[in-house]
Amino acid sequence: MKSFLQYLGIEPERYQLAWISGSEGQKFADIMTHVVDEIKKVGPNRKLREEHE
Amino acid sequence: MSDNTAKAREIAKKLLQDGTVAMVLGWEKGSEPYVSAPTVVRDAADVDRLVVDEYCIHDLAALLPDYRDHSDKIAIFAKGCDSRGIVRLIQDRVITRDRLYIIGINCPGMKDPNEFIRAASGLSKAKPADKAAKCLHCQYPNPVIYDEILGEAQKPGADQRLTEVDKIESMSADERYDFFIKEFSRCIRCYACRNACVACNCRTCIFDETKPQWVGRSTDPVNNLLYQIVRAMHVAGRCIECGECERACPVGIPLMLLNRKLIKDVDQLFGPYQAGLSLEDEAIPPLSRYRVDDPDEFM
Repeated sequence: MKSFLQYLGIEPERYQLAWISGSEGQKFADIMTHVVDEIKKVGPNRKLREEHE
Repeated sequence: MSDNTAKAREIAKKLLQDGTVAMVLGWEKGSEPYVSAPTVVRDAADVDRLVVDEYCIHDLAALLPDYRDHSDKIAIFAKGCDSRGIVRLIQDRVITRDRLYIIGINCPGMKDPNEFIRAASGLSKAKPADKAAKCLHCQYPNPVIYDEILGEAQKPGADQRLTEVDKIESMSADERYDFFIKEFSRCIRCYACRNACVACNCRTCIFDETKPQWVGRSTDPVNNLLYQIVRAMHVAGRCIECGECERACPVGIPLMLLNRKLIKDVDQLFGPYQAGLSLEDEAIPPLSRYRVDDPDEFM
């Protein structure tokens, strides 16, 4: 899926998949922070968005 | 090919007369000399309608899901690509092997009737090609499964299926996105690609569902692309590369660029694998099969 979205020109940082158990609160927080950091680096998304004018 | 037509009629007649099958799925001459349309023959007296010529481009296997709830035995003509479609349908439990009598056709490549129609009507100045676009990259011209066979065995051409995919991959991310959005902005959401597809054999298609509505139905570029992303993912590992989606597309969207990318990925991650080559357990699509040593890479 990631490779396919990349092929369509979507930045891979925007699509991340992780396996987190219900008891892994710290891991969830770490991964979320990581995801947000990565996405901030790529900047606002213009792709695959419906235009609302 | 007229030789094949004669043989095809003879075989169909025999099968219908002795009651081996209740119906024959084949092609008949359509409105123009360069059109051979899919047809159903149920009566031995009607077999003279059948033809097997260089315009028999339609994949008859895509019609089989219509008969999934019947019990009739069906004879079906199958080119290389059609036969892979039949294998896939048997694997998906849409139809059982014992309900089918497969008459294989060693296929030298078909001509695209659409090109002839456009040329004849003056819509296009281009001279129709000797081989349809979908046949150019064919690696399996000879049926992989059959009860009886017509014609001489054919040699496949050089394997250049992925050249176009590689070309796209060498572009930058933004170029790729703009390219695809531009192509898919033409889509009119007629769903011809889905209807022509053997891999699209679900009883209820998610694109027909309205509660919930998974993908927007308006024809704007983004929803069109989303529709095709979802469709391509759904047939990933099950696409037999018959190219019917691309041929059926009235606005000429290069749909095989999506399917071939996923074929490449599935082949690299789980492979070597190509869909619909045999009925063995090992030939079940990787994404429809549970394995303890699954590489888990596809997500």
